[in-house]
Amino acid sequence: MAKNNMEINATLGSVSIKQKKKTSQWTWYIFLIPSFLGIILFMVYPIFESLRLSFYQSNGTIENFIGLDNFKTVLTSGPFWNSVWNTFYIGIFQILITIPLGFIFASLINSTARGQNFFKVIYFLPNVTSIVAAAMIFAFVLHPEMGIVNYALEAIGLPAPKWLADPSTSKWAVILLAVWHWIGFVIIICLANLQAISAEMYEAAKIDGASGLQQWLFITIPNMGGTFAFLLITGWIGALQRFNEVYVLGGPNGSPARSIQTMGAFIYERGFTGFEFGVASAATYIMFMIILVFTFVNLKVSNMKL
Amino acid sequence: MISTMSHKKADKITTSVKFVILLIFGVVLMAPFVWMVSVGFDRTANISMPFPPRLIPEELSGFNYGIVFENGRLIQSYINSAIVTITSVAIGVSSSLLAGYAFSKGRFKGKKLLFIVVLCTLMIPMEPRLIPLYKLFNSVDLLNTFWPLILPPLINGMLIFLCKQFFDQLPDSLREAAQIDGAGEFKIFFSVYFPLAGPIAATMVILAFIWSWNDFLWPLVVLNNQDLHTVPLYLASFSLENGTSLGGLTMALATVSVLPIIVVYLFLQRYIIQSIALSGVKGE
Repeated sequence: MAKNNMEINATLGSVSIKQKKKTSQWTWYIFLIPSFLGIILFMVYPIFESLRLSFYQSNGTIENFIGLDNFKTVLTSGPFWNSVWNTFYIGIFQILITIPLGFIFASLINSTARGQNFFKVIYFLPNVTSIVAAAMIFAFVLHPEMGIVNYALEAIGLPAPKWLADPSTSKWAVILLAVWHWIGFVIIICLANLQAISAEMYEAAKIDGASGLQQWLFITIPNMGGTFAFLLITGWIGALQRFNEVYVLGGPNGSPARSIQTMGAFIYERGFTGFEFGVASAATYIMFMIILVFTFVNLKVSNMKL
Repeated sequence: MISTMSHKKADKITTSVKFVILLIFGVVLMAPFVWMVSVGFDRTANISMPFPPRLIPEELSGFNYGIVFENGRLIQSYINSAIVTITSVAIGVSSSLLAGYAFSKGRFKGKKLLFIVVLCTLMIPMEPRLIPLYKLFNSVDLLNTFWPLILPPLINGMLIFLCKQFFDQLPDSLREAAQIDGAGEFKIFFSVYFPLAGPIAATMVILAFIWSWNDFLWPLVVLNNQDLHTVPLYLASFSLENGTSLGGLTMALATVSVLPIIVVYLFLQRYIIQSIALSGVKGE
């Protein structure tokens, strides 16, 4: 009898533990409710709605199904391909200049004992200021007649370009601004990773008689592969979405002569000044695909594990 | 002996050379800021930009700043930005703390899958969501209010990720002790782990603050009413209207607009730099 009682008690106990586990499982979902409400409403729904819209002719109120016509419109549109070209042109040079330059400066900062913190603060400052304010300042800094850049160029006898006033140089004005704004980020990420390389490797090389430059070339650079890959990917994702600074410098159509209109600006122009939601959605999806393909290729090329 | 001497000397020279290079490049990076402040204080710059450029204003005056503040639209945009930033940061950080904690300490079905979903959101840019979100807020008649700027930051994959990593470092034994005392999951979170989350909460607040304060494209789309413009929107519209005329005024305006971020940055730079390096994600 006593034994039986004990058994019953034991099974009762295990049932209540199980029940407790179940209820506690549910409380975990409550923790996630706000975030997943956000994901469903502001991520999942828009992505699918955008896809649907790309098959419709729509101005926000009237919708007609037109199949793939929007995609045809976008893919045969000169301004669209021009915006793709501009986006890639600015992005490529921004990345090609900023990553090596930022890495060199990060290495210099890392190897000087004096003023490390001071340089970190100074170099990173442009990155925290809003790109909108930065673009506004650069319109003056790069002004052909009264800007400081051309003043300095002329002072040392170099030709002074017209920068944003001339379609053939305006992209370089945006590139300069982009390099200025992004380099602090590159430096900080490089610094964090430079300091993670083990000191033992350098010591071993020193014993073998490697010079500072040799250590940098054969130990530091190979060890930074992952960092460069990360910067390449984030750099591309940012570059492909470029909008803020080109809008401030050239308006929605990227003047002069659409020379700095990016893909983002093209979408904005079609969607919110022309109210062609269908066309803009199709362009958006094409851009989204470009970003996805590019990120994937970058991941493969750089051999990075996510 | 001689060779070590010359070696030391060479070392000293390279160190100085490095230092000088860093200093020169630092000056180049700072030049736009310095020039901006100087032109803003230059009385004559309001009529035409001083040429050749000068660092010390010819006629030092607060004239341009006076106009910037008198106009009132800058102050209005400051207030708007403050409302939007504070509320969106509060909402975003709270929801991310809850989710990050659940992903770290929780045991429930579908945890891995749900976390992958969160990570996927990191790869979804704003652009493909722009028009549907615009239509969504239009359909509930919330365009030209602050709600479209406050609600979507509810979800922020980066913050959830950072938060999960932080809670992963905290021991599970704290939970077990509290469980034995009979505390429920919410009680454990709020009385045991939440008080320990100070450092990560500060990081999240800083990151979310910078992202929200500097956000541009989405506010541009949803706020047509000038009275609701945030600081970047006011700057952009001023810049598009006036181009490169009104140099002194533009520079004074730019100075005032970047001031809060720069002040916050100079006070918290150690943490900001750390958290950016940690998260590896910048917001624009």
